[in-house]
Amino acid sequence: MSQILRLTIFFCLVGGVPLRAAATELRFVAWTSESAKVWAEIIADFQAAHPGVKVTQEVGPSSSTEFHDLVTQKLRNRDAQMDVFFMDVIWPAEFAAAGWALALDELFAAEEQKKFLEAPIAAARYAGRIYGVPLFVDAGMLYFRKDLLEKYRFAPPRTWPELVQQAKTILAQERDPYLTGYSAQLKQYEGLICNMMEFILSNGAALWDERSGRSALEDDRARQAVRFVRDEIVGAIAQRGVLAYQESESLALFTQGRAIFHRNWPYAWEVASDPRRSKVAGRVGVMPLPAFPGHKSAAALGGWQLAISRFSRRRELAWEFVRFMTSEATQKRIALFMGRAPARAALYHDPEILRRNPQFESQYQTFIRAVPRPRTPVYLPLANIMQRYFSSAIALKDSDIDALARSAARDMDRVLELLRDRSAP
Amino acid sequence: MKARSEPVWRFLLPSFVFVGVFSLYPILDSFRLSLYRMILTLPWLGQKFVGLENYRDLASDPVALRSFGTSLLFVAVTTPIEVLLGLGMALALNESFRGRGWLRAIVLIPWAVPTVVTSQMWRFIFNDRYGVFNYLLFGAATQRYWAPLAEPGLALMAIMIADIWKTSAFAALIILAGLQGIPGELYEAAGIDGAGAWQKFRHITWPLIRPALLLALLFRTIDALKVFDLVFVMTQGGPADSTNVLQFYGYKKSFAEGMLGYGSAIAVAVFAVSLALALFYIRLLGASVLRKERTA
Repeated sequence: MSQILRLTIFFCLVGGVPLRAAATELRFVAWTSESAKVWAEIIADFQAAHPGVKVTQEVGPSSSTEFHDLVTQKLRNRDAQMDVFFMDVIWPAEFAAAGWALALDELFAAEEQKKFLEAPIAAARYAGRIYGVPLFVDAGMLYFRKDLLEKYRFAPPRTWPELVQQAKTILAQERDPYLTGYSAQLKQYEGLICNMMEFILSNGAALWDERSGRSALEDDRARQAVRFVRDEIVGAIAQRGVLAYQESESLALFTQGRAIFHRNWPYAWEVASDPRRSKVAGRVGVMPLPAFPGHKSAAALGGWQLAISRFSRRRELAWEFVRFMTSEATQKRIALFMGRAPARAALYHDPEILRRNPQFESQYQTFIRAVPRPRTPVYLPLANIMQRYFSSAIALKDSDIDALARSAARDMDRVLELLRDRSAP
Repeated sequence: MKARSEPVWRFLLPSFVFVGVFSLYPILDSFRLSLYRMILTLPWLGQKFVGLENYRDLASDPVALRSFGTSLLFVAVTTPIEVLLGLGMALALNESFRGRGWLRAIVLIPWAVPTVVTSQMWRFIFNDRYGVFNYLLFGAATQRYWAPLAEPGLALMAIMIADIWKTSAFAALIILAGLQGIPGELYEAAGIDGAGAWQKFRHITWPLIRPALLLALLFRTIDALKVFDLVFVMTQGGPADSTNVLQFYGYKKSFAEGMLGYGSAIAVAVFAVSLALALFYIRLLGASVLRKERTA
């Protein structure tokens, strides 16, 4: 017994010594990157420029929902072991209201903010203050098979009905049982909201009314767009399996040459154009998503920011790190070697980046017009209601969209009601 | 007398402390939280005592009621099948044949694999393009392939299949332990009396493994009521909310939405139902165990 005790004490001491003697440690929580090597090099460069600082990276799951669980658990526990973390563009309001993310106004100067794209900066703001520095941006885009469209003399579709017509013609003529018309992310999860939001916005409607703070799902044009997805996309030009797809499954279908049209984020370009990972490399086109006739194309804004935990004990160092990671030089490396779209506007005119990623030039228009999802601290409760509504509306052929929209709108308004009886900011 | 009872307490104390800290305290604290309105993302609302309001909301929340129905359906379908399959496996593994030890170990593999891995595996099996499930059913006729995880009518069934595959072995393990406790002489004696295989099963095996069967049923029922990981990995509650079991709904409320009060009310409801079922089984089980002790 006493021997075990002595051993325990011994190991505690031995284990404790290097910890105390070590350099200043900065803890950074990120998700697994598809280009982990580039990432590690960037961090190594930061350490080289800051002798005596050691950045420890904790890698979390790449799914936004699961990463949210990890980060919020640490924040809820006021964990001082996390200094800097990745923040999805949909979280700043929640993290700001909960008092988890540090307001960066004093550090992140207004003129510096102007050097970034507007949409991600707007997404990082809540109640007049800013809580994150944009790292890279995402926006929904339409990928298509250039070769197939050319074969049938189709111009890339500008409207959704046109896309459906083209897909139907190609499917009928090709008679390929493996081919599907449209692949996207229609599983009941956050990606479903982005996809459906793009259909709804491109029909001149919205998810909610920013001014009145009420749900807008009952709006005629919003319901029309949902009905279109149910009747013309799911089970028509797309196989029903699309109802279980997230990004990776839907992209795999496209890169295997089994989908004519594909909706995804910018990173899909890098994958689809890489002959080692894609059977359709060189035969892929990308463009803004179509709209309904008479309306404008819309893209959901995605992307990630760097935020500092309010429980961090090394705020200055943390800011130093955030500034380094979002500097023009680092963002350029990320754009060049990871294919991620930078958040700084100037980089879209950088010849070196454009030579390597020519798609950024055309995608730029989509990025500056991309629409953020509702900015509110109760976004996640609203999102769960919307996910349930959209999935129920499009997964069942005879779904009563009107009744579902009514009950979803009622549920959303009840959640939004919570914001009304606020006694503090 | 006094001298004898003292050390007993000292030996029991660690387990009491353990149960108190890791079981009793969380349960009581969940119950306390469920009486408050507490929303993490709206800290200015504070932690307001609302009495039974969360429970009233729960009783009139159509999503929660549907989730509860989904959970009950899941329990009602999976547990009897798992226990019956487990019984079959246990009877087979109780016979002596060459390689029995190996087989016993192999049977346990599905149960020993972490559920998250199993779930991921079944997600691939049920994939509508590459899944083995479709290949076995339809071969190369891809136009007939199903997408079980995309159909509101099939997704829950797909998760049930994964659960049955995974946990039947656990039921088998418990029942096998029960079978091992039956003395061989009973069968010998019955054989001398001219009993056939069915009669031996009906009059010896069945009554003597009933406690083990009930125990397996108890464990499986409670576990099935709390099914979470399979749903989390395979469907996230979809499509059309068809696999949104109560435990998953509660998790989303507490951990994603930050509604700690309401989430705790759901957790307490799941706990209450498990407890009621456990008491019911223990009454059945206790009665038969007691009878056995009296005869022994």
